[in-house]
Amino acid sequence: MKYIKYSLVAVALASVSTWLEAKTLAITNATVYTATEQGVLENATVMIDDGTISAINPETVNADEIFDAQGKILTPGFIGAMNQLGLVEVNAVAATRDAADKKAKITFDASLAFNPLSSVIAYSRKGGITRDIVMPRGGESIFKGQSFVVDLSGTFDSVLEANNAVFAVIGAKHKGSRALSIQTLFNRFEDVEKKIAKAKKAKAKKADKKPPAELKRDEKVLQALLKGEKPLVVAADRATDLLALIKLKERFNLKLIIAGAADAELVAKAIAAADIPLLIDAMRDLPGSFDSLHVSLNTAANLINAGIKVGFIQRDTHNLYQLRFDAGNAVANGVAKDKALAAVTANIADMFNLNAGRIATGQAADLVLWSADPFEISTKVEKLWIKGKAYSTRSRQDALRERYMDKSTLPAGYIK
Amino acid sequence: MQKYAPSLVMVALSLALTGCLKTEAQSEKVTIKKNPYPSTYQTVQSQTTLIKNATVLTGTGERLNNADVLFIDGKIKQVGQNLTVDNAAVIDGKGKWVTPGIIDVHSHLGVYPSPSVESHSDGNEATAPNTSRVWAEHSLWPQDPGFETARAGGITTLQILPGSANLFGGRGVTLKNVSSTTMQGMKYPDAPYGLKMACGENPKRVYGSKDVAPATRMGNMAGYREAWAKAVEYKRAWDKYEADYAAGKNVEAPERDLTNDTLKGVLEGEILIHNHCYKAEEMAMMIDLSKEFNYHAGTFHHAIEAYKIADLLAENGNCAAMWPDWWGFKMEAYDMVQENAAIVDAAKNSCAIIHSDSSKTIQRLNQEAAKVLYRAQESGFDLKEEDAIRWITANAAKSLGLSDKTGSLTTGKSADVVIWNRNPFSVYAHAEQVFIDGVKVYDRFDEKYQAKSDFLLGQANSGKE
Repeated sequence: MKYIKYSLVAVALASVSTWLEAKTLAITNATVYTATEQGVLENATVMIDDGTISAINPETVNADEIFDAQGKILTPGFIGAMNQLGLVEVNAVAATRDAADKKAKITFDASLAFNPLSSVIAYSRKGGITRDIVMPRGGESIFKGQSFVVDLSGTFDSVLEANNAVFAVIGAKHKGSRALSIQTLFNRFEDVEKKIAKAKKAKAKKADKKPPAELKRDEKVLQALLKGEKPLVVAADRATDLLALIKLKERFNLKLIIAGAADAELVAKAIAAADIPLLIDAMRDLPGSFDSLHVSLNTAANLINAGIKVGFIQRDTHNLYQLRFDAGNAVANGVAKDKALAAVTANIADMFNLNAGRIATGQAADLVLWSADPFEISTKVEKLWIKGKAYSTRSRQDALRERYMDKSTLPAGYIK
Repeated sequence: MQKYAPSLVMVALSLALTGCLKTEAQSEKVTIKKNPYPSTYQTVQSQTTLIKNATVLTGTGERLNNADVLFIDGKIKQVGQNLTVDNAAVIDGKGKWVTPGIIDVHSHLGVYPSPSVESHSDGNEATAPNTSRVWAEHSLWPQDPGFETARAGGITTLQILPGSANLFGGRGVTLKNVSSTTMQGMKYPDAPYGLKMACGENPKRVYGSKDVAPATRMGNMAGYREAWAKAVEYKRAWDKYEADYAAGKNVEAPERDLTNDTLKGVLEGEILIHNHCYKAEEMAMMIDLSKEFNYHAGTFHHAIEAYKIADLLAENGNCAAMWPDWWGFKMEAYDMVQENAAIVDAAKNSCAIIHSDSSKTIQRLNQEAAKVLYRAQESGFDLKEEDAIRWITANAAKSLGLSDKTGSLTTGKSADVVIWNRNPFSVYAHAEQVFIDGVKVYDRFDEKYQAKSDFLLGQANSGKE
């Protein structure tokens, strides 16, 4: 029964949102940071139809609703990555954690556990976050499972794509050797490659009596990676590990993204040449381990200047909203403003093949209107749209603040 | 054996009586050394310095535009307009902002250093619920590269605390953020010690999971009360010894106990409480606990729910040291509001502080304070930059018992000064020059003034000639 109920709710919600999104919206008089080669468009109009950007600066503005941006800055919604949004409510309360499982393997689909009602989601909207690539933490396997894409609407249909990338972790180990992790990575792909080749051969020679063994679930995932159907994200820091990953990409022709990449500056040329994008924490500057002795606040700028596509990540799920401050600090440490914007929008979208992250015709209408410079601490989100629909930035925190600032004589418990 | 007891008592009594005789010489008086690991920090001869035409946030709630800051012999001499002095190094402060040195009341630099390897994980003696006997300074690794990155963020003074696994975690130590090969070389001269206490989830989890008390919050409270009750007895025994000795009696000193030495220091007002405590109801009980045993409950750290009891904290003279936005990692951190510090600050005689508890955010306490300032402005608080700077300077100094020494640009105080390239509450702000006691310890544009930890020296040597 539970399953049936759920799907009925989903159908009902889907039909409501379709009806709502059918309206057309025009955001006029905006300073549009496109995150495209168009750069900044002054006094621009963005047309939205059915949740998608349908036109920019059309000849005539004809829409069900017109929103005057009064010259304020409109950016694509920011896109988070590498956190556990919707998979954890309170870190220390095990029953609210669904990102990890000892038995999780490459097939682990954490999207099944996603909770769109998590209080972290509304809070994250305060940072102008409209989408997120949620990463599982996995288990003992070096393959932690598969990530998924969500929007931050907080609705039951907010999982946009499940199993959109595979996540693996290599590097320093408390027990054992990093060598084995790297070997395992290579071996797994090689084994599947062989199995696929063998099956092909057998198919060609119909004479074979025994039909070839079908690929197992985990092997199918590896096959999808070999075909380039989805990216492989590997977390690694030390320069030697990064070089090993470059070899992995070249050997198997993978769509590879490296996350962490503390030592990347030491091998920046090789990473750029291999065309591997990086997901980095722009605020990382301490040698947290012997794998990360060469990272500084200038790293982001240096990697971008080396021609590497960089995305910024905020790994602390509850503070995902801070992503815009990370981008601001990156600017303070040498990253050009447009590059910093791309690092939290377009570049993440490109890495994960999302139809979002830019203000351009045909892109999802995930948009944020800011009171001023989006990266500045004194700035706030004035208005936020996800797929063309407006969402509030109000969260549980606001309710608590209002309760305790209320000067009524009633006990706080009665103030709602 | 029991039947011999009375006669033993008689012997003891007669001995005691003999002890009273004036004719008997007193043995040497036993005294507890209060500062056996003293600071060796010495101010280097400092240059007379005059910063001209800057925007100055004094730390006392004032903002002065186009103002000059003069420091001589390591002390603030004057803040005002059109100051002149002979033989001063003059710094053009046009477009710059000047603040007191930034103070972090909650850091684990040096005791949980980078790299975070087990060999250096010395911040929490989590072997018993009461480890008041341990001192964080005895764990300190002065080569933690985090001291350097914090200095680049304007941190001039910081308190290093033990962790929060225990009801009583041990003594904290306040440091000047100077480069030194010894702990003593950084130790803030004459700063009072802190005693770390912890409420709530951590102690009950750490010991409860080992089937050792405390396993509940009421177990926590019982643990504090038992410890204070013993400490009161210990103090009484020493007070009696002191009084008797002063009266010329030849008395035996009580047996020395390091745990109770620390607690006695609190009861005597010499050691300040720094209490990791998140929840409103727990802070309220810790205040009552302090009244039960007659000490001051000090500063509440993290204090996620301080906004719920802002008036109580102010009335009782407690500081609250808070994050702007950390939350959700534990149940006791679930009720965070970003305006917490602003609500605490709004009460009369309050003491709101922004702290880091992090090697990352200690580098940007200015931005941490900015988050509170601007969210509070959006929620209707009448707060400005000159108010918010107190949360990371003057109020922090008060919490550490250093109000007479640092925390504001007031004549006679240490010349702990930061020159910022712009409004320090901007995400784009950088500390450009940092001074401790008038000595430049950091310059963003001059490598000569950028210290580097031994640990990072000579790494990544490719061997190429």
